[in-house]
Formats: sequence, structure tokens, C-alpha cells
Amino acid sequence: MAAVRRISLEVDRGETVLVRGPNGAGKSTLLRIIATALSPTTGRGQILGFDLLSEREEIRRRTELISHRTRLYEDLTAIENLHFAAVIYMVDPKKVARALADVGLSQVGRERVRGFSQGMRQRLALARALLREPELFLLDEPYSGLDREAKELVDSLVMDARHAGRTTLIVTHDAAREHLATQVVVMREGHLYSPPAATAAGAGRL
Amino acid sequence: MTFATQAAAVASKDLHTELRGRHAVGVILPFACTQLVAFGLSLGPDRVLMQQTAPALLWLAVFFASVLTFRGAYEAEGEDGALEGLLLAPVDKAAVFLGKAGAVIVQLLALEVAIVLLTGALFGVGTMSDLPQQAATMTLGTIGLAAVGSLFGVLTEAARAREAIFPLLILPLTTPVLIASIKATGLIQAGQAASAAPWLGLLAAFDTVFLCAGMALFGLLLED
Repeated sequence: MAAVRRISLEVDRGETVLVRGPNGAGKSTLLRIIATALSPTTGRGQILGFDLLSEREEIRRRTELISHRTRLYEDLTAIENLHFAAVIYMVDPKKVARALADVGLSQVGRERVRGFSQGMRQRLALARALLREPELFLLDEPYSGLDREAKELVDSLVMDARHAGRTTLIVTHDAAREHLATQVVVMREGHLYSPPAATAAGAGRL
Repeated sequence: MTFATQAAAVASKDLHTELRGRHAVGVILPFACTQLVAFGLSLGPDRVLMQQTAPALLWLAVFFASVLTFRGAYEAEGEDGALEGLLLAPVDKAAVFLGKAGAVIVQLLALEVAIVLLTGALFGVGTMSDLPQQAATMTLGTIGLAAVGSLFGVLTEAARAREAIFPLLILPLTTPVLIASIKATGLIQAGQAASAAPWLGLLAAFDTVFLCAGMALFGLLLED
């Protein structure tokens, strides 16, 4: 069974696109294909000007996917996780302290991630994303399991990204976040639709 | 420089994880020791028989310890999708492979010190004779095991696959390493260190081939 079918989505640089739809609609699969975590069985695509199939490493260099799987190492501390990410991403490790402070985790920086709540893990994953300053943010249900303060943190990350001219794709059930988007699209049964409001605003070019 | 730094970061991360989890000390070492004691008891008091079988039993203990070490090395990657993080990170996948293999080598060499000493005590074989050759055999054999295990460990991130497929994958591929290591160890312990040179050469060749294959193929296996 195909999770995503006959999708055509065009997003300009600097846009914030919100993808919503029911469970099983293919939203996360779409995001994972864009992040090159999955390969499409057919079709073509260009992400940030790079071919989706043949220039995957170029896309990965410029993209950050944040999902419910935080990709953290449980037996390392928050600081160690970020230091490891800094070396792997080839960014200055001096940014670690600032990134931790930005997500409000400075006090628990030397504690192991195994003892963190889901919300704290999500914050740490956000801190890792802040280290990189990627051109394309892919956020898969970034608000699930977060308290109000952490949700506002995600909102500010999205707004900062837009002001910096970065592109963001957000998959969420949270309709209250539509105000963040320059374009809203709906996925249902693997197909992508542009809702009337977004089309009328001229934001949706699908 | 970046390649070496990233490989060192992966190795350091794996060693930190291991030190915190104490998988080697808490699980692998007791398992290897129990295995050697059981072999020693079942072979009885025949000193000649025990000395003849000691190299094979030593390397069997190392092999089983290595299988558990490989599983431990990839368990942490599977806990919260961390392996996917490495796939999507802008890092040379060959550096990830070398880092993971390096961490496994360090862990296994530390375990082997205890296993070799126990084998010497239980089976009455000299562990201090021809020490450089013994150390070379242990190191080359360990590199071979680590290269194969680190390459195919990536295929077994899923827990069920790890249980069922992993031993089947690495057993046939590590057989040449085990045979060469057992032969070299036996010859060195019998005081014929010079005759062990061809076996050490075979181990070095195997290590080179599998380290190169690992660097070339790890990224492709990770993609799958």
C-alpha cells in the first residue's frame, strides 16, 4: 500500500508550510521522504535545488528533521549529546551552552537523558537543531507531549527560522498553529490538497 | 582532520555509553568466564588435552564476547532512532563505521586481557611467553571480528533481527579469523612463534579487506 501518492508540492524558500490531516494520511511519510530518510518508489523531486534521489548528502547537509523519535543517546548527558552532534555536524562546540540555554535546559545539562521526560527530550532535540541553523526545518508533530512553555519555544523557533529566511515544513494536528504558516496544505489518504482559504490567499502552489 | 575527528567522536560516544551501561563488565565478562570454567571442568584433569584445546576455547570465548559487544554497540543506536540521526547527519559514513569498530576493538581488547589470564590459569598455558606475538595475534584477530561485526551490526538495528539474523550473518564470515587466530595462538603457546607468521599475515589481509569493505559499504547498508 502506498502511503503517499501523486504528490506535487512547491514551496518557496523562506516559507512556513503547515501540513495537517488525519492519522495515517501520509504526512510523516512525506516529511521523511523530503528529509531523505525514505526513498520514493517513483517520482522526482528537488529539495533546496538538489535532486531528491541523486544528491541526498547535499540535502542532508542543509536539512534538520525533528520527530517524536528524538534520536538522543540515553546514557549520555544533555551536554554530551549536543557535543557529539556539534562534532558530527561540524559546528563550533562553543554553541552548545547557548543552545541549551535557549531551550531552558542549562540546569540539567550534566544529567543523563535517560531520566528526562518526553518534553525535555523534545527540547534537547530542538537545541540540537539550533546548533545547525539548517536551511530547511522539517517538524513532525513538534507540539505533541509539550507543555505550553515548550510549545511557545517551538513557535519562536519557527518564527526565527522564517525571519532568517529559512524554510519550514510542520506536520501537526494542532490547528491553533495555523497562524504561523504562510501556506497550509491538507493530506488525506496519501493525497495533498490545498484548503480553500490558503488557495484564496494565493499561498498554495501545489 | 574532520574525518578522524568524527570517527573519534563516534568511538568516544560508544565507549562512554558502554562505561555508563557496564554491559561488558556486568554481562559479557561473567558470561565468558563461566564458559571457560565450564569447558575446563568438562575436559577434566588431562593437562595435555587442556593445553591443546586452550587456544580454541580462548577464541570461542572471545567470539561469543564479541557477538554480545556488537549487539550492545547497536542497541544504543536503536533506542530512540539515533541510527537514523547518523544516516541523516552530514557525516562521512566511513568515519561512523571506523568509530564504531574502534570502540568495539577497545572494549574487546580490555575483555581479552581477563579472558587470556583466566585461560592461562585454568588450562595451564603460558600467557607471558612470546608476549609481542600473542598481543599481535589478539589485536589482529580482534580487528577482524570488529570489522565484520560493526559492518553487519547496522543491519540488525531492529531487536528481532538482532536476535535471529546477526549470529547467522557473522558466523560464516568470521570463520577465517577464528581459524587463523586459533592456529597462531596454538603455535605461539607451543613455542613455535616463527611458524605463526603466515597465520598473522592471513589475519592482517583479512583485516585490511574487511576494514576497506566496511568503509565502502557501511553507508549503503545504513541507507537500507
